Amino acid sequence: MTADVRGSSRPAGEGLDFLIAESKKGRPMTLALACPYGDDALGAACRAQREGVARAVLIGDAARIRSTAERDGCDITGITLVDEPDDDRAVEASVRMVSSGEADFLMKGLVKTSTLLKAVLDKEWGLRTGSLLSHLFLFEVAVLGGRVIGVSDGGMNTYPDLGAKVKIIENAVACFHRIGTPQPKIAALAAVEAVNPDMKATLEAAALAKMNERGQIKGCLVDGPLALDNAVSEEAARIKGISSPVAGSADMLLVPDIESGNFVGKVLMYMTGGKGAGVILGARKPIVLTSRFDSVETKLLSISLGAVVARG
Amino acid sequence: MEQIRSLSQLLEHAKKIGAEKGPKKLSVAMAEDAGLLAAIEEARKAGFAEAILVGNGDKMKAAADQAGVDLSDYELIDERDEPAMGIAAVTQVSSKKADIYMKGQIHTNNFLRAMLNKECGLRRGKNTISHCYFHSVEGFDRVFFIADAAFNMYPDLAAKADITQNTVGLARAFGVAEPKVAVLAAVEVVNPDMPATLEAAALTQMNRRGQIKNCIVDGPFALDNAVSEESARTKGIVSPVAGKADIFIVPNIDSGNMLAKAIVYFSKNETAGLILGASAPIVLTSRADSTRSKLLSIAAAVALSDFQK
Repeated sequence: MTADVRGSSRPAGEGLDFLIAESKKGRPMTLALACPYGDDALGAACRAQREGVARAVLIGDAARIRSTAERDGCDITGITLVDEPDDDRAVEASVRMVSSGEADFLMKGLVKTSTLLKAVLDKEWGLRTGSLLSHLFLFEVAVLGGRVIGVSDGGMNTYPDLGAKVKIIENAVACFHRIGTPQPKIAALAAVEAVNPDMKATLEAAALAKMNERGQIKGCLVDGPLALDNAVSEEAARIKGISSPVAGSADMLLVPDIESGNFVGKVLMYMTGGKGAGVILGARKPIVLTSRFDSVETKLLSISLGAVVARG
Repeated sequence: MEQIRSLSQLLEHAKKIGAEKGPKKLSVAMAEDAGLLAAIEEARKAGFAEAILVGNGDKMKAAADQAGVDLSDYELIDERDEPAMGIAAVTQVSSKKADIYMKGQIHTNNFLRAMLNKECGLRRGKNTISHCYFHSVEGFDRVFFIADAAFNMYPDLAAKADITQNTVGLARAFGVAEPKVAVLAAVEVVNPDMPATLEAAALTQMNRRGQIKNCIVDGPFALDNAVSEESARTKGIVSPVAGKADIFIVPNIDSGNMLAKAIVYFSKNETAGLILGASAPIVLTSRADSTRSKLLSIAAAVALSDFQK
C-alpha cells in the first residue's frame, strides 16, 4: 500500500454519516445487546434494526425487556429475544453468542461495565485476544468543517504506560483501516510540542514516533509530542515551525491519560454540540458501550461503527 | 458590578474603568514586536491602558513604524541588555509607577526571573504564581476560567489551593461575586487509584474549612456534570457547583492544556489568558495569539488591577 499523504481515502467534510451507509452494505451484522432495560440502548438497537444498520438480538429478562420497550415506545416485533432473567447469565449468554459467531458484536445495556468486561475477558468463552481493550471515540467536529477526529483513550485505560499506548494505537489503527483510512495520522499529544525531560507525556510521545519510524507500529503515521493546537490546525503548526506529515491534519489524538482524554472528548460532546461514535476495541469483536447522555444520533453512529468494524 | 458574561463585555468593562478612573499603565519588557505594539495601541485608543515601553530604542522604533504606532504617545526606556530589560520593566511595577507587567519579545525565562527577583520583583510571599485561561463559548451564559493549563506542570495540593484562590480573584474581578469552582477529574466519584479525585475531595474540604475563600469549591467532577445541569441531574449529583461551574481546576498541565485547546479549536469561542498570584497582574501572550486575544488579556489585567485597588 502506498502511503496516502492525505491519510483518509474519504472526502474531507463528509462527517460520520458514512458509517451508517457503510454498515448497510452486504450481510447485516448482528449485535447481541445484554440487559436492555434502560439508558435508551434498546431504542438505539431497535432503530438500528429498523434502518438496516444492524440486526439486534436482545438478551435478558424477557418480561422486563417487553415492558421497557413499551415504556420507551420501541417496536421489538421481529427482533430475536433470549429470555435470561439473571444479569450475570444474560451477559455470559451475550458474550458466548458473539464468541461462537452467532452474533457479530456486543452491546451493553443497563448492566455494570465491569460485569460486561469481566465476561468479555473470560478465558474460556470470552472475546480476549491478548491485546489490550481500549476505547476509541470518533468525533465529527463542526467548526473544522465536519472533519472526523478520533480520541483514544479517554474512557478505559487510566494511566497507560508506553507498552499500553502502543496497543491503544494498534487497536485504533485497525479500526481506521476498516472505516477506510488506510494510513491514519496519529498525534501523540502532550501539553507542549517540545521534548521536555520533566514531562513524561512528551518522552513517551517521542518514543512512539520513533517506534513508528522503526516499523514497530505499522499501518499509520505517528508523530509527537504535539500539542492539540498544532495537531489539528495547520496554521498553528506553521506558526510554531513544525514540519510533520501529522501536524495540522491528525486523524487521531492519542492522549496521555484518562483525564486529558476525557476532557477533550467532553468538550466535543458537551460544549460544541458535536456528534460522535464510540467503540471498545482490542477484543475479538467490537463492543458498543453507549452512555445515557449520548444523543440518539451518537448511539446509532456507535452501533454502525461497531457493525463496520465487526464486518472487517 | 454586573457580571461579565462574555469577552466582549470584558472589553466594555475595561473601557468603563478607563473612562471613569483613567487608564492603567502597562510596563512592557522588550516591546520590539509590531503585533504586540498594535494590541497595546488598541488598548490605548480604547482608553483603558497606557504604557511604558522598555527595550532597544532602535528596534522599538522599527516595530512601531511597522505597526503604524507613534511612540511619542508612550514613555520609553532604552535598554540594550535583555535581562536588564526585565528588571527595568518589573521595577516600574513594583515601585508603583506602572500597574501591569507585560511580556514583549523577551525570552520567558528572563521575563519570569525578573518577576521573581527578591528586591524588585512581584512575588507575594510564597504564593504560587499561576496561569488562567478564560473563554467565552457559544451557547454558554458565562465566562469559563481554566487553571492551571500552562504554567504549573504537576502542582501538589498546596499549589492547587493557591491556584484556586488566584483564579477566584480573577473571576471576582469579572463580577462573579462568589465563583463556583469545579475541581475536575475523569470521573465524579472519589477513586483511590486516581490522584486527581483525591485532591479534588481535599480542595472541597479546604473550602468548607475556610482555607480557600470567597468561592464555592466542589469536586471531583467530570467535565460534563460541571457544565451540564442535565448531566449532573441524571447522575444524581446534588451540588451548587454541578452544571454551573465558572472555574475549572485541572489536575495537571497535560489535561489542562488539552481541555483549553479543545475549547479553542473545537468550539466557537473567544479566549485569552493572564498570569495571576503576583502583586500585580501579568500579561504573557504568545506571538501566535491574535491582536484581539492580546487586547482581551490586557483588558482582563486592567479589570483585575482595578478590582485589587
